[in-house]
Amino acid sequence: MARLISFFEATGSLFAILLLWYLATRYGTLSEFLLPSPASVLARIADDTASGDLPTSLLLTLRTAGLGFAIAALAGTTLGIAMARIRLVHWFFDPLISLGFPMPKIAFLPVFLLWLGPTAASQITIVAVSAIFPVVVAAFSGAEGVEKTQLWSARSLGASRHGLLWQIVLPAITPQLFTGLQIALPVALVTTIVAEMLTGSDGIGGIMLGAMRFADSAGVFAYIIVIAIAGTLVFRGMERLRARLLRWHPEQSH
Amino acid sequence: MSQIVFDAVRHGYRTKGRAEMVALSDVNLTVEQGEFVSLLGPSGCGKSTLLYLLGGFVPLQSGRILMEGKPVTGPGPDRGVVFQNFALFPWKTVRQNIAYGLERQGLTAQARTERVQQFIDMVQLRGFEDSFPSQLSGGMRQRVAIARTLAVDPRVLLMDEPFGALDAQTREIMHEELLAIMRRTPMTTIFVTHDVREAVYLSDRVAVMSSRPGRIKEVVTIDLGPRTGPDIMKSAKFNEYVEYLWSQVKTDAVKAMQ
Ligand SMILES: Nc1ncnc2c1ncn2[C@@H]1O[C@H](COP(=O)(O)OP(=O)(O)O)[C@@H](O)[C@H]1O
Ligand SMILES: [Mg+2]
Repeated sequence: MARLISFFEATGSLFAILLLWYLATRYGTLSEFLLPSPASVLARIADDTASGDLPTSLLLTLRTAGLGFAIAALAGTTLGIAMARIRLVHWFFDPLISLGFPMPKIAFLPVFLLWLGPTAASQITIVAVSAIFPVVVAAFSGAEGVEKTQLWSARSLGASRHGLLWQIVLPAITPQLFTGLQIALPVALVTTIVAEMLTGSDGIGGIMLGAMRFADSAGVFAYIIVIAIAGTLVFRGMERLRARLLRWHPEQSH
Repeated sequence: MSQIVFDAVRHGYRTKGRAEMVALSDVNLTVEQGEFVSLLGPSGCGKSTLLYLLGGFVPLQSGRILMEGKPVTGPGPDRGVVFQNFALFPWKTVRQNIAYGLERQGLTAQARTERVQQFIDMVQLRGFEDSFPSQLSGGMRQRVAIARTLAVDPRVLLMDEPFGALDAQTREIMHEELLAIMRRTPMTTIFVTHDVREAVYLSDRVAVMSSRPGRIKEVVTIDLGPRTGPDIMKSAKFNEYVEYLWSQVKTDAVKAMQ
């Protein structure tokens, strides 16, 4: 019972909007075309799930976002740590990161389309490029802040220089790294949807744009809801992973 | 052969756009096997720098530092170090922290587990094996750090104001524990402190440092016999040492504040 109450407390505004949405379509003057009713959107989700279209495009979208994010996470962590430890790497990449961080990376999509064609590869590339910046910055500032007495302790306890990286630096920066990853994850999803819209893929973004062209507003809304739910679930999974890996961290109280 | 030799050690720090800061100038000191020597001096006189040089963390610029006859070239498990900020690995439990050095030595899992437990018992942390450092008090954290360092069986122990971050009561308890450990497993120790009473209470010899530039101005042998308990601090002899050393440190402490 207490759990049920706290669930409604946390999600009350969503239910209020759902109710408003229902009332607007039931008693309002909006046409079904401008704002389809919750019922017809739900029916649409059910239909497309049964036919297999929705799962297929959702998986495609999640695959693009997931691969792009994974590349950003791996390359970004490596680059951030390298920048903190190797002066030449810092000298080369620091201005590029400052320049690229605030820039709308999606502007590079035409370039990747020219180079790689309208393929999954060009979508994954733009996703990785968009999502890498917060990861690099987080890994860099984390690695810069690793306490030198921790590194020295490890060395005097017998760690090799190479061992420090895996045994000390990486675990020490996990809190900051996760902050970066949690910023990068929604960026990856947004970029995936936009790239799909612009390249006409079979992922959620592409399907939505197709639905819009055919004036299929129930379809548009159905896919908005699907991607909202998928995004929330993925983000929650990330929070769980963080809580698990950072059990030791004093700020990790949930 | 002396176990540790500092011979004409000089060290300067260069910061961009500023003149070199001479932290140590012509430091000479020898420490014999089994001795407990304190480096006593006001903050900023180069105590940590001297310890870091011996630890091999900071490269030697000039002079010689010998550890059992061999020049120091880098960090190594023969010189165990305990820092003021504990420097524990916060993502590892008490057990895992203490096991870290043993893992680097390639002990069997069985031997490791036994040795870890032995050192957890030694610092009286039974029941906290699976706690993370963030769940422990300052005194307990420093006990973990001491256990972690001693577990790898170093030849000498280097401590940089190890109890400086603890409250007065905890510090007194830690003094007794350290003395107890030293009674059971005597070990050459260099102990950095700016606390005169602490230096007298723990040491066989106290090296008084002066600042700007840092150098050893006097080495005082503390002849108080075996430490049987805190009662010794009430003796006249103890307080004579404290007064004398305090008068030696004071001039520099005042200078350092100006
Ligand atoms: N990394 C550093 N860069 C520049 N100056 C330093 C550095 N470390 C220490 N110093 C300076 O060297 C002097 C000695 O420092 P330190 O060895 O830490 O003294 P203590 O441990 O006795 O307080 C101080 O004046 C300090 O400001
Ligand atoms: Mg110091």
